[in-house]
Amino acid sequence: MHFKELNHDENKYTVYLDEVSKTFRTYHFFYKDEEKGKRFLLRKKEACAADRVTFGIMHGEIMGLLGPNGAGKTTIVKMVSSLVKPDSGVVYVDGMDVEKKRKQVLSQIGVVLEGTRTSMWPLTPLENLYYYGNLRNIRGKVLKERAKQLLDFIGLSDKKDIEVRRLSRGQKQKLAICIALIADPKIILLDEPTTGLDVQSSRSIKDKILELTREHGRSALVTTHDMHVAQELCDRIGIINKGKLITCKPTSELLEIFSKQIFSVRLDRNLVDGDLNALAPLIKVLNTDFTAEGPTLTIQVPEPYPERSEALYILFDTLHKKKYQIRSIQQKQVNLEYVFLQLTGEKPVFDETKLPEQE
Amino acid sequence: MLGFLLVMKAEIIRGWIVTRRYWFRTLTSLIIGYGMLMILIAGFFYSQPAIEKSINQLDDPTRATNYILGFIIGMFAFGVIGMFTQGIQGMAQTGVLEQLCMSPYGLVTNFLARAVVASISTIIYSALMVYMVVVSVGGKLYFDPIPVVVLLTLSFVNLLGFGFMVGGLVLVFKQIGQLTIIVRMALFALAIFAREEFLQQGWIISAFMHALPITDAAICLKYVLVKGQQPEVGQFVSVFMHPCFYWLCVSCVLWTFIGISLFKVMENYSRYKGTLGIY
Repeated sequence: MHFKELNHDENKYTVYLDEVSKTFRTYHFFYKDEEKGKRFLLRKKEACAADRVTFGIMHGEIMGLLGPNGAGKTTIVKMVSSLVKPDSGVVYVDGMDVEKKRKQVLSQIGVVLEGTRTSMWPLTPLENLYYYGNLRNIRGKVLKERAKQLLDFIGLSDKKDIEVRRLSRGQKQKLAICIALIADPKIILLDEPTTGLDVQSSRSIKDKILELTREHGRSALVTTHDMHVAQELCDRIGIINKGKLITCKPTSELLEIFSKQIFSVRLDRNLVDGDLNALAPLIKVLNTDFTAEGPTLTIQVPEPYPERSEALYILFDTLHKKKYQIRSIQQKQVNLEYVFLQLTGEKPVFDETKLPEQE
Repeated sequence: MLGFLLVMKAEIIRGWIVTRRYWFRTLTSLIIGYGMLMILIAGFFYSQPAIEKSINQLDDPTRATNYILGFIIGMFAFGVIGMFTQGIQGMAQTGVLEQLCMSPYGLVTNFLARAVVASISTIIYSALMVYMVVVSVGGKLYFDPIPVVVLLTLSFVNLLGFGFMVGGLVLVFKQIGQLTIIVRMALFALAIFAREEFLQQGWIISAFMHALPITDAAICLKYVLVKGQQPEVGQFVSVFMHPCFYWLCVSCVLWTFIGISLFKVMENYSRYKGTLGIY
């Protein structure tokens, strides 16, 4: 999918990454290879942080980027905010090429990078907002009013005259969001906004992000490790692993695809190995749970409807021929954690207690 | 220009707030600084006759004042370059550098404004030291305000250009921050020992000396303050006619161009490497 192909629809996206790639190269002197037990004078190492990544963020949308450590989430945020230059591909913000119109792009985005290092700790939240406002060409009455509004909005008005170093981690994070919003950007990029926060602070920040997009029409890109944050917050989720964007779909659609694939079947007795083999390769048994009422198999069927239908026919046919009694069949409602582990190639631990069921 | 002024304003306000809020730290550092200055000045005053006597006994009576003045110029150079090297490292560690990198005014404007603001105290301190030395050596120094202001401004611009170059390197190669202390020390020493005779030792050494950002500035300042712009006693030749002044002007233009260009190249390279704003 190229930007050029989206001409009729290009206003749909406030941020668009077109086949963006980035590989970091590091050089190590006197490098010791632990596996080979050899020492090298100079060793070049490469880490792919983005491999032809293509996605867009629409107006007023919250896009989530999920991925394990080192997957390339922060690099993508930094490429959008022009802190990192892509090796190839183009990043568009509000229709402008980030590399060609850096200054204009920077006035359109607000960035909250990981950690609480954004603000100046000897200053108060209000002074920080005045300082960063000046750096972004906001001044005078406008700056004073906006700083006050932002502190009210985020709930830091009562802390406006307290030095940042005395604030809690959650309050510092809220201030970082205010700093990102001081120039009234259209797009806000949040790198791990709730990491290390308590439940209350995390909830409050999530609410504010939702308010920013739903009520104020801003677009947001959120990177997170926390599946609950992503599931609760994001309209669309991109899963990234080793620099590759594995999928990018609306959250509900992503969950639905996988939910359609997972069933639990309760039988009168356990399936014997020969019968199990008859189900392969279309049906994969993920788990067998033994209860007093009989064994419950958790199975996965393929995604496309024709194959799924075929798989279910085989299942029922096999069970019917071998005289198994079917006591119940349920379709599982999977959560994002399951989807994430499936897509990143990790084997999901199928915890029955975590997955709600649908008859 | 507006961006430069706004960043300057923000920096001045920030500096004032921090100075006022951490008043005890400010006060103690002022007491220590002022105390050291007073000891130095008191030493000059107290031993003025002895100093004068000793100076007059030297083969070249201006040599001592040359060194003292060089020391002050060296301190100035040390401070200006340090703002770029140590400054970048400090800001990278606190995360402020990432925010500056994302300022629409660009990193060069931000650094320029910050350097100017941060230099105010260095300039005041150096000017005060020069004045005190002028007074304490009992008229052994000649203070001509216009050439001094022009030369100090040119020296500052020259050092800023050099600072940008070193700062650009620190943006990419964070580890060389410590190494730059050696460069600062070398400039400090050069400011102390710089004399016109250095430039008469073959064209290679002469060219190298002119290329360094502090040589011509120190020689010109010493020419005004120590020699009273008199190459021979009683013969007045303005510093603006001195060859080193022209070298200083050329050096200013070159270092500013090289410094800012290299800084931009390094900023771009740092973005490519993914190390911009991080330590």
